[in-house]
Amino acid sequence: MTLQSIRNKDQQIDYGSLKTLVVDDIPGMRSAVKMTLSNFGITRTDVAGSAQEAMNRVANTSYDLILCDYNLGDGRDGQQLLEELRHRNLITLKTVYIMVTAEALYEKVAATAELAPDDYMLKPFNAEVLRNRLDAILLKKMAFAEVYDKFGKGDLEGAVVGCDKLIQNKPRYLIDALRFKGELLMAMGRFAEGEALYRQVIDLRAVPWARLGLARALHAQGKEETAEETLIDVLDTHPEMVAAYDLLSEVRIARKDMQGAQQALAKGATISGITVRRQKMLGDLAYENGDLATAQDAYQAALRKGRHSIFVNHTDYSNLCRVQIEQGQPNAALDTLKLAKDTLKATPEGQLVTAVIQTLAHTKSGQTEAAKRALDEASRLRSDGAHGDGRLMLELAGAYMANGRQEEGDAIVGEVARNAHDSDSLLNKAKEIYASCGREQAGEELLKTATAEVRQLNNEGVVLAQKGDFDGATQCLLTAARDAPYNPRVLMNAAWVLLRSIDKNGLDEDRLRDARRLLDDVEHLAPSHNRLPGLRSQLREIEARFGIRRSSSK
Amino acid sequence: MSLQAKDLYAALMHELKNNLGLLTLAMERIPRQTADEENQPLDEARLMCRNVVERLRQSLLLYKATEHGLPIAIDAYSPHEFVAGMRDEALSLTHGRVSVETSVEADVPPIWFFDRNLVDIALNNAIHNSLTYARERIVIRAEMVDGMLAFSVIDDSPGYPAHILEAQSGDETDFGSGGTGLGLELSHMIAESHKNKGRSGELRLANVPGAAFTLLLP
Repeated sequence: MTLQSIRNKDQQIDYGSLKTLVVDDIPGMRSAVKMTLSNFGITRTDVAGSAQEAMNRVANTSYDLILCDYNLGDGRDGQQLLEELRHRNLITLKTVYIMVTAEALYEKVAATAELAPDDYMLKPFNAEVLRNRLDAILLKKMAFAEVYDKFGKGDLEGAVVGCDKLIQNKPRYLIDALRFKGELLMAMGRFAEGEALYRQVIDLRAVPWARLGLARALHAQGKEETAEETLIDVLDTHPEMVAAYDLLSEVRIARKDMQGAQQALAKGATISGITVRRQKMLGDLAYENGDLATAQDAYQAALRKGRHSIFVNHTDYSNLCRVQIEQGQPNAALDTLKLAKDTLKATPEGQLVTAVIQTLAHTKSGQTEAAKRALDEASRLRSDGAHGDGRLMLELAGAYMANGRQEEGDAIVGEVARNAHDSDSLLNKAKEIYASCGREQAGEELLKTATAEVRQLNNEGVVLAQKGDFDGATQCLLTAARDAPYNPRVLMNAAWVLLRSIDKNGLDEDRLRDARRLLDDVEHLAPSHNRLPGLRSQLREIEARFGIRRSSSK
Repeated sequence: MSLQAKDLYAALMHELKNNLGLLTLAMERIPRQTADEENQPLDEARLMCRNVVERLRQSLLLYKATEHGLPIAIDAYSPHEFVAGMRDEALSLTHGRVSVETSVEADVPPIWFFDRNLVDIALNNAIHNSLTYARERIVIRAEMVDGMLAFSVIDDSPGYPAHILEAQSGDETDFGSGGTGLGLELSHMIAESHKNKGRSGELRLANVPGAAFTLLLP
């Protein structure tokens, strides 16, 4: 078969029907690309000069093809735009997203991308190259249509079957199908199969993404030592692969090597500090390690990068303020609050952050009256139901105790302890608070009772479930989940037992609803928890079995 | 060069390359004239423009290679699609002056692992050379040689000068400092940077009797 005939046979692509968006901050580039596209029949083209403009356009129009320059000049780059568009479900896997980058930036951009675009075009490119790439991508999207369709409907099982079909019948897409299947298996919590798949790809060729995938599968199964070896190995040949540093840091946290974890993350951040998430994690680790200077830099970088993005929230502001106060700069913390005033005012959680940080900062600088006022404001917000992360709540508890309001302080510590019965760092912090006001004994007891209740309910529930007493188990674990509504592990155990009971005893609408709600809560609290994907698949499987259509995911 | 001057130098090269890219796109939009003789100067200018862009790509890559070693990003690509892409680029450069033929042998697998960008730079260089010297036709071919994927660009020119053919057999390759030499040196580096299961890629040059440029990828 000659190439000409391949081209003719596949020439079903109707470029005239493609709705296209060109994103570039340089007007000359925009019009040049638009004209180039029109040369091969793409005439329905819009342009955008910034990430924000692109976001607005995509929210209102559904595009088949987005051609985006990496440098956008308004504080966000093409990769961040892609991540936000996917995150907010504004584009699907069927949308073609092509990143245009300068040659010198390419390796860096490609190595740091966690969410890969469909392809990279290196500048300058000409019409033929673009046309050929588009042909290839569109043909691939056609081959993957069924897989993407199932994936979009949440039918991961069906998407895996679709990948298997491609793996068997379409050798051209063997590697693409394996790669997507690997991601599906990981998303479904089928880590051992994921491991086998990545080993299979590595046998063909030790491509970096497969080695990273292998490390991820190993880590998810708790095989931390092999995971660490794999990562060090891949970083040796591909030192720019930032995602590998991120994972290495997680692996080292699992191995309780906190210094090593911070080192890995810091190394990744020097290569690419652009991700808000990476800076946040670096800040958290450095703070845990007592390295306040690094923590401050990292939190500041996260906020600078993410000010206009959806990946920043009130907790990031309180983290930075905490470090500033601990470094003896209460005024800097107050300035941080001022800068973020609009964001923080918008939600009760943000208002609580403001009140608690003001309390701490004013206390630190000896403004007793102002501190009292802020603490009263925090109390008011709390009685209205505002809630913060564990650290912030413990700080609030500490402030109560310092002001002689022991009961309110105890109540909060109890609440935090119930929700974090498995977090050493928070429980230690709680002990410090009691030590600082000379109530070690009281603190010890309170913590013991609070954690014991949840732990007992939790353990009892799990044991009962294993014995097959699903009603008893459900009761225990739902009570535990009510007492510890912010503890992902407890919530997941409760969801697990609910799903098991439906699995064994048949459909119970209430239990199914509870399970769904619990998993949604976990999604919020610990979106990257290892167990979550597995539970999500069980839920989907049960919904499918009883013919329940999900009322859209969010 | 001081650190700052070096950054400046790289930035300038980029700026130049981007401007040239825009110029290339603009030239491609100039409508074709009905009379062939009116098109000829335009075609020459287009080819020249692309030549300069290719040279700049090469020098940027060399610059990077001397700083950090040749950066390589291997993934799976279709040799068929790759050859088709090369053909379309070559066609857009010749506008019928030279015919461009392609062949992909039956034993070439549907996918192969290589660095698309680097191989593109090497083959583009070969195509630009061949288009400059070819009389009537060039052939772009993919086949399997010694278990490696071989991309070739073959023309009907008088062939490579003797010193270039001799240069490739020595331990230290030295293709000379002229434009052709630079491109071949870089292609040689690109070939060698492809490694798989203990084997390295190779650059083979021959006169068959036209010039045959072959990049072998393990």
